Amino acid sequence: MASFPHFNTADFPGEITLDHVVPTIAPDFAPLPSDLRPDLVTALRSRGIERLYTHQAAAYKAVRAGRHLVVVTPTASGKTLCYNLPVLQRLLEDPNRRALYLYPTKALAQDQLAELSALKHGLPIEVRVDTYDGDTPPGRRTAIREGGHIVMTNPDMLHTGLLPHHTRWRRLFSSLEFVVVDELHTYRGLFGSQVANVIRRLKRICEFYGSKPTFICASATIGNPLQLAKRLLEEDTVELVDRSGAPQGERRLIFYNPPLLNRETGIRRSSMLEARRIAAPWIRSGVQTIVFCRSRLQVEVMLSYLRQDLAPRLDAHQRVRGYRAGYLPLHRREIEAGLRAGEITGVVSTNALELGIDIGTLQCAVLVGYPGTISSTWQQLGRAGRRSGSVGVFVASSSPLDQFIVRHPEYFLGTNPEEGLIDPDNLLMLAGHLQAGLFELPFAAEEKLGRADVRDLLQLFEEDGSATRSGGRWFWSRQAFPAEEVHLRRILADNVVIIDTSHPRPQVIGEMDQFTAPVLLHEEAVYLHEGAQFHVDRLDWNEKKAYVHPVEVDYYTDALASVTVQVLETFAGPDGVDLTRSHGEVKITSLASMFKKIRFHTHENIGAGPIHLPEQTLHTTGYWVTVGDGLWDAVGRGAAPSGADTARPSMSPGLEAGLQGMAHALRHVASLRLMCDARDLGSVAEVRSVTTQRPTVTVYENYPGGVGLSARLHELHRELLDDAAELVRECPCTAGCPSCVGPLHLVEGAKEACLRLLSGIALTV
Amino acid sequence: MPAITLRDRLNRLGAAPRPAPPPAHELPRGFEGLPTPFGMAAIRQDVIPLPPLDPYPGNVAYLDTETTGLAGGTGTHVFAAAVARPIDCGLRVAQLLLPQPGMEPAFLHALLEELAPAAGLATFNGGSFDLPLLRTRWVMARMPGEFAHAPHVDLLTLVRALYRHRLGACNLRIVEERVLGYERDDPLPSALVPDAYFDYLRRGELRALEAALEHNRLDVISLVHLHSRLLLRLRGLETGMDAADWLALGRHRFRRGARADGWRALRNATSFASGDAAATAGLTIARRMVRRGSIGAAETLLTWLESSVSDDIRVPVARARLLEWRRRDPEQALGVVEAALRRMPESEPELEHRLARLRRKLSARRLRGRGQGRARQVQLEVPISDRPL
Repeated sequence: MASFPHFNTADFPGEITLDHVVPTIAPDFAPLPSDLRPDLVTALRSRGIERLYTHQAAAYKAVRAGRHLVVVTPTASGKTLCYNLPVLQRLLEDPNRRALYLYPTKALAQDQLAELSALKHGLPIEVRVDTYDGDTPPGRRTAIREGGHIVMTNPDMLHTGLLPHHTRWRRLFSSLEFVVVDELHTYRGLFGSQVANVIRRLKRICEFYGSKPTFICASATIGNPLQLAKRLLEEDTVELVDRSGAPQGERRLIFYNPPLLNRETGIRRSSMLEARRIAAPWIRSGVQTIVFCRSRLQVEVMLSYLRQDLAPRLDAHQRVRGYRAGYLPLHRREIEAGLRAGEITGVVSTNALELGIDIGTLQCAVLVGYPGTISSTWQQLGRAGRRSGSVGVFVASSSPLDQFIVRHPEYFLGTNPEEGLIDPDNLLMLAGHLQAGLFELPFAAEEKLGRADVRDLLQLFEEDGSATRSGGRWFWSRQAFPAEEVHLRRILADNVVIIDTSHPRPQVIGEMDQFTAPVLLHEEAVYLHEGAQFHVDRLDWNEKKAYVHPVEVDYYTDALASVTVQVLETFAGPDGVDLTRSHGEVKITSLASMFKKIRFHTHENIGAGPIHLPEQTLHTTGYWVTVGDGLWDAVGRGAAPSGADTARPSMSPGLEAGLQGMAHALRHVASLRLMCDARDLGSVAEVRSVTTQRPTVTVYENYPGGVGLSARLHELHRELLDDAAELVRECPCTAGCPSCVGPLHLVEGAKEACLRLLSGIALTV
Repeated sequence: MPAITLRDRLNRLGAAPRPAPPPAHELPRGFEGLPTPFGMAAIRQDVIPLPPLDPYPGNVAYLDTETTGLAGGTGTHVFAAAVARPIDCGLRVAQLLLPQPGMEPAFLHALLEELAPAAGLATFNGGSFDLPLLRTRWVMARMPGEFAHAPHVDLLTLVRALYRHRLGACNLRIVEERVLGYERDDPLPSALVPDAYFDYLRRGELRALEAALEHNRLDVISLVHLHSRLLLRLRGLETGMDAADWLALGRHRFRRGARADGWRALRNATSFASGDAAATAGLTIARRMVRRGSIGAAETLLTWLESSVSDDIRVPVARARLLEWRRRDPEQALGVVEAALRRMPESEPELEHRLARLRRKLSARRLRGRGQGRARQVQLEVPISDRPL
């Protein structure tokens, strides 16, 4: 057994919920393919590659046979060679061929450029590899368009830079043989659905120029790589390579839950401080360690902590470095070199490093808070997994998701349930991309956009004046540049930006969708961000900016918003007995009218104020759970305080708060199951829904029209209820806390009622 | 989808509603069908009188296009093109119109045919706008081969080089007013041109489109006169050229690699012997002389320049620099700077540094010189004297 850097569980007062040693995995090799060009063999040998891992060989074979492919293997298993090898081989055979590499971020493309440049060195032909993105100097652009063999870019640039100007890229598109889609798992939810439409447009342009590229996808571990690839590419046959032949060193995984400070509020000792206590001794003793934080702000704070801990050393600033998106490439290269040379022992990063950027071999990884998905967690822990004797520690924060994960290590270690879901046919999204596609090429009468039937939409555009029919085809007929009106990564154009004004230079700490903002960011609200309290000084609704500053106060604010859900169309359901499930199109209306200030612990009302913001409506898809009368009444009787009017049990405050808690818990476990950002979903509890006339909890998608998440929630109904019940049941708080039933519903009996509602147990007292 | 229409659904999701129109078509006044191998094109042709041009540009085709937007990219159409070409009996003006987007191949073919007889092509901003867009349309229309044309001159580039110091903004309207000296009532502001075409496409509305086409026709005729005027200026034959004009011309000719022309123009600018532009031109010449090693000539020129443009601090500074670094004569350099300071006391902050350095050098030299007698006056070897300018 390898020796691990020192970590004694007895040093930490919290709870170690997992201390697991992942055994060594031996490599599984395959010989270099027999048809490989001798030059390429030599180039590989000069890089120390004498043979391939089995997954690399399998990938090579599939691509050579012209099959679309998705490769799913762990971090650092040599995934890039899976696509670089067949592409380089083909370029050696025919230097007129072209390849397009898509990476989700600019930084990643930069890194892969360096990687590929090293490999192509020593090949007999000049393989021209370039990144093409917003940073590419205008002087270089023409040369790349004309002569680049491999163009590395991101979906956003493809969307606004390449496709609408495809005639300038004629060389590329007419000889395009490979499209590499790396980090496939990032293309899920809203972003994935948008990218699926960009790929539809890409295929359309390729067809115009007579090329039919082979798609090669590479992904981190997710539940449904093949399904996601098929949906994203709209191809029926995609080959899956998911047996990694790469070795793995022995490593120790630890889940650590900091000690509970307050049972009532569920507040635990700060995950930042606990992570600092773990990482500092390692860094001091020269063990290379990476600390992952959730935000840029946290990175800076952690940096100063760790440097203080090294303080007597004069080179503390040199030895511990920050590394996050927003740093210049040169700066980052310098840090990477420092790590390789051993001059740097500590790195503090946001998830910029998660996406396969090569920073060599680190021995320890500390995760401050749950990165949001299991696959990200594996990726971040995997940073310290390349050699034997590495340690990865996950330090949980008090957020519901963190608490759920830290208490369920088996969920993490077991089979991976997270799935990448997309729905490219969301009407609003489809309309946007159809306009962009129409701008790029006229549409023939029967033509589809990918698999989507767009005849009705085209007809509609014609009525609007965006399209003109001529000679049996539709042509774009507006002045606008439609691709610029579609943003691939933003939920909606009008998010409210949250600005912390306490710094000399005000910092953006986050954003919130327009629909939720009135409830949480109204003026005088205490807004909780990454576990810290912020006071909202001003909300400029027209500019969509909220100005905040950090505070420490003993109260929280609770906005009273009347939220109503109106079902417009039911796609499925209701079915079930006590808790029925349904799925369909909904209209959510929210009007925040006033807020209360409520003191922690005592819950006394210490002030109130009005909110003057417009009513918000959202048309989207949702999944709703309706509580049957029998269950409701039974739980109500249990939750009612003794002596209350038992004839009207549904009026019990505990019961209503229980329903609210159910909405809160369901939303969090849903985002966990769906691998989406918690902000992609919203939830509402209604004691009497206008549609069902019964107590109902609706979980809806925060994007107009939805991107298919709620359909999957409908399928996962049973699992969601079980997960939510478990989340609430296992929370060590006494009567409900922000980690289980949510911050705003701390009413006596809420936790109990919530649990019983979720369990569907009509217990009678 | 039963009761709910697609429009309703889109509206519900937040798309803005827009009105609906029916289509109708009739060609604008004067246009007729022109058969091409790619179908029918729409053309209007005319020969108008052309006053004798001097200089005469020769067999050049002038091209101006109207487009459905300025965004560029594959969704921007060229919907009209005007080609003017001087012929024996006057100026031939041909205008092509794209009656429907689907008729683009015929439009492009007819356009290329119209350009074919000319030995040169001139546009206004065609280098970065019209021609790339036409090349894009050529690919989009799946036309064979390339959109090939005769050697091209972009008149906007020339206007910018030769007139920017006078005009500031160089759009065609301003050039017409201030260079060609005529004003025209524009029937339609440029910003409304795309909508004029869209209204024609959707509703067959002709009024605005005809205005846009007239605008296009007048633009291309202006280009013919503008080109002749630019040729006059390039030859240096235009009357009333001042120092700034010559300076601009000289710089332009240098950029084009025509050194002899450049020299001549800069000299002409310098010979105005007053004002900013003359000084700039003189300084440019002096710098080039120094680079070639003609130190004496440069010195003579700067001395003359300083006496004629006495209020430009750049001249004494250049002269002092030359004396200090090339002539190794800090004493004389100091004299130049001190004299300049007396004339222009407000430039002291600029000169302060130089002044201090020169004084330092001088005192150091005096210190050294004390032991060496009058060594400074010995001439062991001398350079060939430069001829004065």
